[in-house]
Amino acid sequence: MTEFYARLRALAALMVVLALVVSCGIAGQSPTPAPTSPPAATPTQAATGTPTSTGTSAPTETPTEGPTEAPTPTTEPTPLPTPAGQVIFGNWPYYIDVDEDTGANPTLDQFEAQTGIDVTYLEVIADNSEFFGKIQPDLAAGHSTGYDVIAPSDWLVARLIRLGYLQPLDKSQLPNWQANAQEVLRDPWYDPGNVYSIPWQAGIVGIAYNERLTGRPITTFDDLLDPAFAGRSGLFSEMIDTMSMTLLSLGVKPEDATAEDVQAAHDKLLGPAQAGQFRDFYDNSYYDALAVGDLAITMAWSGDVSQMQLYDNPDVKFVIPDTGGLLFVDNMVIPNGAEHPIDAYKFMDYWYTLDAAVPLTEYIGYFSPVVGVQEQVRLDAQAEREAGHPKYADKLDQVAIDSFPTPEQLANVFNYKNLTEEEERLWNELFNDVLTG
Amino acid sequence: MPLRRRLRWLTPYLFLIPGGLWLIVFFVVPMFVMASVSLQEGSLDTGYTLTWNFGVYGEVVNEYLPQFGRSVLYALIVTALTLLFGYPLAYTIAFRGGRFKNILLLVVILPFFTAFIIRTLSWKLILADNGFVLGFLKELSLLDPAFHVLASPIAVVSGLTYNFLPFMVLPVYVALEKIDPHLVEAATDLYASRTQAFLRVTLPLSMAGVFAGSLLVFIPAVGDFINADILGSRDTTMIGNVIQRLFLNTNAYPEAAALGFVLMASVLVLVAIYARVVGAKELTAG
Repeated sequence: MTEFYARLRALAALMVVLALVVSCGIAGQSPTPAPTSPPAATPTQAATGTPTSTGTSAPTETPTEGPTEAPTPTTEPTPLPTPAGQVIFGNWPYYIDVDEDTGANPTLDQFEAQTGIDVTYLEVIADNSEFFGKIQPDLAAGHSTGYDVIAPSDWLVARLIRLGYLQPLDKSQLPNWQANAQEVLRDPWYDPGNVYSIPWQAGIVGIAYNERLTGRPITTFDDLLDPAFAGRSGLFSEMIDTMSMTLLSLGVKPEDATAEDVQAAHDKLLGPAQAGQFRDFYDNSYYDALAVGDLAITMAWSGDVSQMQLYDNPDVKFVIPDTGGLLFVDNMVIPNGAEHPIDAYKFMDYWYTLDAAVPLTEYIGYFSPVVGVQEQVRLDAQAEREAGHPKYADKLDQVAIDSFPTPEQLANVFNYKNLTEEEERLWNELFNDVLTG
Repeated sequence: MPLRRRLRWLTPYLFLIPGGLWLIVFFVVPMFVMASVSLQEGSLDTGYTLTWNFGVYGEVVNEYLPQFGRSVLYALIVTALTLLFGYPLAYTIAFRGGRFKNILLLVVILPFFTAFIIRTLSWKLILADNGFVLGFLKELSLLDPAFHVLASPIAVVSGLTYNFLPFMVLPVYVALEKIDPHLVEAATDLYASRTQAFLRVTLPLSMAGVFAGSLLVFIPAVGDFINADILGSRDTTMIGNVIQRLFLNTNAYPEAAALGFVLMASVLVLVAIYARVVGAKELTAG
């Protein structure tokens, strides 16, 4: 009995010690939730463009450089000849080529064969705001997000730059980009000089409709609000897309929109929303709803419809509304705390070779940012036709058309507005009211 | 007195340390952090500062009262439905199960082997507008081609009922299992009909299980957002969806934290009322 109590005492003492150690450890980390991250850090990061985590991520790649490197962050990450052997890419769905029979990704396999770097491809982005909400706490706390490369859209790149969450790019590591990038996509509004980003693919936000279900061709944004399609119409849950398209339908360019304009856009959408016009507000999941016929008409991304026509539902058509569509550019960026930055550079640069860009575009059907892709796809179409595959050749011809915007399309698409914090809050409030009011 | 005996009173408290620590770290501390966040103002760019902005609670309640009401209503319906379906199921397993009791229980729990989201997504397939159920009926012209179950409150409530049914079945089963069948026999010996025996003997004795099951169903159902997201539409948004959107999409952390607290407080109040109604004494019977 006495032995029992002796052991119990020892165990209790051990647990008390453990408890003290654990609670001291937790208190020492002082859990600062994302919103209370010290405001002083972010402005200096943005101003100097040198996120301090460059110092913390470097040691994993530069064991020869001592800790003396860490306290003095350089403007460019110091390159090393040998990559770590792994890269983690967070991307949107329907944005990579897929071998229909095996489910593999030929371009990724080709990259792995050429460089020996293992690619972890994660389709984690369905909506820019949602994705930002997921990575923001890690970025604010200075931790790794778990990704080496991510593919945010233009406006999100602008916000990430503003908050200082991105690594500036060392252009000397991107020779293919320097040589092969399309001029029209260089030096964009959201990242002047391509300091932090290079384009992944671009596309147009427009309207997709199933001609069999609508019974007539669609030409304008107001068709989404047509009571004939009540309960079978869809809008995007991403505020900036839906609001900008609505502004265009009111004759207002998003870049020039004022608070009154946004209020008018809100009023235009609120009535139909409350009357049950929209089946739902979708992120990328509109694709399934449209493909199976739950939706007759919806806002859509051009490349998605291109893929749907080829693989899932040939009745669906894409159209830029006469009031105008939106040009979006998804970009490859390296977030702070990326654990394999060297591999990230090799990965990003790979997509600017024709070896990679052509098969990618031939499958996903978005605008390619690489020079020479359109011509190559046309040549491939011709080769397929001569080889006796006319149907596939027709598909490739269509993809060639889709792979770069025509002058007419470029004339009728507009850019997003680069919103300030105040404007974002107002637009979000009004849009949330449409969603839940 | 030897030291060992003098410190004996300390022992139970020492046993509480692991559990207590876990509660403090994973419950109490986050509560305080959330409370602090809800009273802050600011933004991602300018940082957040604690301004003791109690007005935010009034704002969010005003703004999202319909979603609150809807969530409570759906959760009440779901609780009633799971009781309606779950009680007979548990009764049959407990009293008529015989050799197959364990297998039947396993079958009830089997869906839980897959993830919550996957089960809900499979309901999306089943209820699809032109899927194998509705499409078949539409082909037989029994249904209007434009008829749909998805994106309606019925789909959301059905999804919630399906997902939370085992949470009702298991506690009710446990309570029914404990009832001595001889009590029912005795009741019928005293000239009670089968129905009367059930209503006056079995049912009251199983109330503890019903109470536990209702709580296990109601509380998560109120805050659920996955069913409303996948199976619902704009008109079925629940408070969970609102909080999720405020946190992840709009990054309005103070409002979202405030909503979380209001939700917790309302659920506590409702549960307290329910506990009163059911009667705490009866829970310790049997």
